[in-house]
Amino acid sequence: MEIQDRQVDGVTVLILKGSVDAITSPKITEFIQAHIAKGNTKLVADLSGVDYTSSAGLRVLLGAIKETRARSGDLRLAGVQPDVQKVLNLSGFTNILKKYDDVNSAVASYS
Amino acid sequence: MMTKNDRPRVALVIGSGSVKCAAALGLMKVLEREHIDVDMVVGCSGGAIYASLIALGWPGQRAIDTTLKMWTRDVTAKRNTRAILQLALPWIFKFDESFGLIDDRMINRRFRDGFEGATFAQTRIPLFVTATDLYNGEQVVLSDGTIAEAVRASISIPYIFPPHKLNGRFLVDGYQSDPLPIGVAIKEGADIIIAMGFESPYQEQITSLMRYNYQMSSVTSNNLLKANFAFHNLAHHSEIIPIIPEFKHRIKLFDTDKIPYVIEEGERAAEAQLPYLKELLGK
Repeated sequence: MEIQDRQVDGVTVLILKGSVDAITSPKITEFIQAHIAKGNTKLVADLSGVDYTSSAGLRVLLGAIKETRARSGDLRLAGVQPDVQKVLNLSGFTNILKKYDDVNSAVASYS
Repeated sequence: MMTKNDRPRVALVIGSGSVKCAAALGLMKVLEREHIDVDMVVGCSGGAIYASLIALGWPGQRAIDTTLKMWTRDVTAKRNTRAILQLALPWIFKFDESFGLIDDRMINRRFRDGFEGATFAQTRIPLFVTATDLYNGEQVVLSDGTIAEAVRASISIPYIFPPHKLNGRFLVDGYQSDPLPIGVAIKEGADIIIAMGFESPYQEQITSLMRYNYQMSSVTSNNLLKANFAFHNLAHHSEIIPIIPEFKHRIKLFDTDKIPYVIEEGERAAEAQLPYLKELLGK
């Protein structure tokens, strides 16, 4: 799992590559928590490089969504790949999170 | 909770999905090849048939042959005359909870013969079969007695097969309470849960009361599947690995001729999750 970040128009874009699962979730959680602690609560997760998520991955996403929304922010998803989309659909998460085709659209949704 | 040798406890959960559930045989083939032990099997509706065959340790071809003997179109061929009269004249023929449009004597006999009288006590892997209590909607987890009785209860498709009376309760299809009963595996102490689930297909056209019924059933059960899956994902302390085979062609209730294809797709879906599963198990 690789995670990088960049700032775009006051929005923090998290670029994730690999799997979001039980093995990688501690690293992702720590990374997101560090941003929230710094007051970066408008987040976009670029998932175009993520090919898999599991229950642990869903818990990470939901945890981040709850924490950012409690601070008037959000975690929005961009570039979701078909296998990840399948799990999001099955879990009904698509009903509670905002999802965009690409990072630019996700960033623009905050303005 | 860990097993005696401190490895995570692995559960296989097979949801409802009629013939599509045969994909679990493909999944099991991959697990066996990789020497991944399963500590419990949970099945619901069509998934209960394959969960039972797997738990009994019947090899792939025997499982296929047993399915082909048990589940053919003629199990729904004989109409239940009493049910039709109950529909037409409910006050004369006393409509009651035993309603089902199909005479279930053939399917009962097929399961009894197919499972050869096997009981839960005889399984190699602990087995749990789910059904639903018609009167209060509770999920009923069956784990003793004969497998044929439990599977029969679990596949009681509403309106089609009469509810199955077992231990004083009228039991209907397991999907009515949870189409993918991951909660049973969580409750039984599983760590890693391999969950093979299927959404119910929607009707292309609604041209009869039965199709309307199927459609409403799919709408409800698919939403129930998602709601429960979300809850279980959030509630579980460890990992749930969803395995969702993709079928290019529609697989209907009695498309047993497509079982080899279904198994292949199950195998393919399992292969895709295998590297991660092995990593979790430290293999």
